[in-house]
Amino acid sequence: MTTVGPDGEVADGAGEVDHRRHVSDYFRLERWELPSPPGDDGPVSMAGRAPVDDHQRGPGGGLRTGGLLTSLDSLGGFTSGLAVLPRWIVTTSLLATVSELVHVGPLRLRADVLRSGRNSVVCALDVVDEGADDRRVAAATLTCAVLDPDAMTLSFERPFVLPMPPPQADPVRPEAFFCIEPGDGPVTRLRLEDQLRNPWGILHGGAVAMLADEAACRATVAAVPGAGAVAATDVVLHYLRPVKVGPVEARCTVLGTRDGRSVVRVAIHDSGADDRLVTLGSVTVLAV
Amino acid sequence: MSFAGYPPPDHFLGDLGMEAEVTTETTARVRTRVTPQVCSADGGVRIGVLATLVDIVGGAIAARVLRPDWMATADLAVELVGHPVGPWVEARGSVLRRGRTTLVVEALVVAVDEDGADTRVDGAAADPVAWASMTFAVLPAKEDAPTLPQAAELPARWAFSGGALTLPVLDALPVTVLDAAAGRVSVPARPYLHNSFGAVQGGVVALIAEAAGAEALGAATGSDGAGTVVTGLQVAYLALGKVGPIVSSARVLAAGPDGRSGAVVELRDAGAAGRLTTVVNVTAAPVGAVRVPA
Repeated sequence: MTTVGPDGEVADGAGEVDHRRHVSDYFRLERWELPSPPGDDGPVSMAGRAPVDDHQRGPGGGLRTGGLLTSLDSLGGFTSGLAVLPRWIVTTSLLATVSELVHVGPLRLRADVLRSGRNSVVCALDVVDEGADDRRVAAATLTCAVLDPDAMTLSFERPFVLPMPPPQADPVRPEAFFCIEPGDGPVTRLRLEDQLRNPWGILHGGAVAMLADEAACRATVAAVPGAGAVAATDVVLHYLRPVKVGPVEARCTVLGTRDGRSVVRVAIHDSGADDRLVTLGSVTVLAV
Repeated sequence: MSFAGYPPPDHFLGDLGMEAEVTTETTARVRTRVTPQVCSADGGVRIGVLATLVDIVGGAIAARVLRPDWMATADLAVELVGHPVGPWVEARGSVLRRGRTTLVVEALVVAVDEDGADTRVDGAAADPVAWASMTFAVLPAKEDAPTLPQAAELPARWAFSGGALTLPVLDALPVTVLDAAAGRVSVPARPYLHNSFGAVQGGVVALIAEAAGAEALGAATGSDGAGTVVTGLQVAYLALGKVGPIVSSARVLAAGPDGRSGAVVELRDAGAAGRLTTVVNVTAAPVGAVRVPA
């Protein structure tokens, strides 16, 4: 039997603990469940808070959009999972709009389950900047497919609380943490290192989002003369298949640019798994 | 003409005059003529109309791929890329993944000429008009339920013919603005707007969200809905809107007079105890910030 503990770690029958919380730890996402009012057996809601550490800021001045998406995926996925216990979930689509690229921090997130069905869960997410009088930063809708966890037993102390992880002693830039290879142009690659896998052993959805962000920005800079500094805003990601092998390749097409706004189609492939298409989406990239 | 009896006479889709072709087992295209009735103040086709086009092309593909099962649109995203130069806009859809419970479809919207060839500008292919994607939830067929008939041979073509829009598309629904600053608009859930489940059609839902978002963001920037062009829609369909009226509200995320702005629009079925049916992320820009092609 395998148990997933309150910190998201996975322990097998021999007691080996696999602390696969690296990705959400990197962005230091604190999470806590918002209890329903007494007598209200309504949908699950959770809140989160993440600082905006300097090494995680992007060209817009605030948290890199890929980082914001990672926290949205972590909080929304966990909230959706709690809503379907003892089953669990996997993210299938993320629709996000980022309205503010300059952040003071910390950012406060909220996730509310809108619909919980037999096969899927839909969660709404909002982000505000606590350091800027709760200025609205982003909104998103996350959809998850409901899975049968097989032999895995999911155990959480309720209401769920996970404190903010401490700052990294030796901070690295997101590109380095997410093993995104240096480069430019329409193709960007990510090495699938162990730290990027989630408790199920597949590439974390937030890492896919970070790759999409970085790849779309690089493709825009390469394709649009005089693009200068750019940042991702609106993002649509359809997680089609799990990424198991790697390396992972994001292939971008800049569909068009007008008024400093480029729309980029991003197709992500698992090169080591017959090059299959694993995620497809679009990223809107702004000149900043 | 209709597809499997849908849409009925006197229907919104018929008035849009859509023409469809299922080209292979996993691809299809649907087009509609660019007329002033479907355009916004910047001269481009309204993103809600493009969403309707995309929903129809996705539905045509899904009906064939999933048969005998049925489907319902779960989410739909459209992002404007370039201006349509007409005289038609065509959505070209293809399957990305067919799973046990969902089908994911991608669509590119392009401008085409009378013969269906890509419109060219200065000798080069015009930019795409929009990129779109959508997820369909698979609804397992019931033993006594009808199945959608499918043409034995491909390509299969049909047209949604009816009258033609004589009013601007938002007036044809019609959209009534209750409180612009709050993004409150109302649309009756009448048969003219129904899908095959007897609820407001998914593309129409996107049009309502477009109108609501434009009103709220226009008011926030000291303009009005007509002075705001919606450039992106991310639609999550939660429940069918069957009773009506469908009433919206909007929460503005950001609004700058010279820049990009965004809002979250919620649609509720007022006649069904205010049930939340749809959540839509809307991005927009003032008309002056979006260039009209010469």
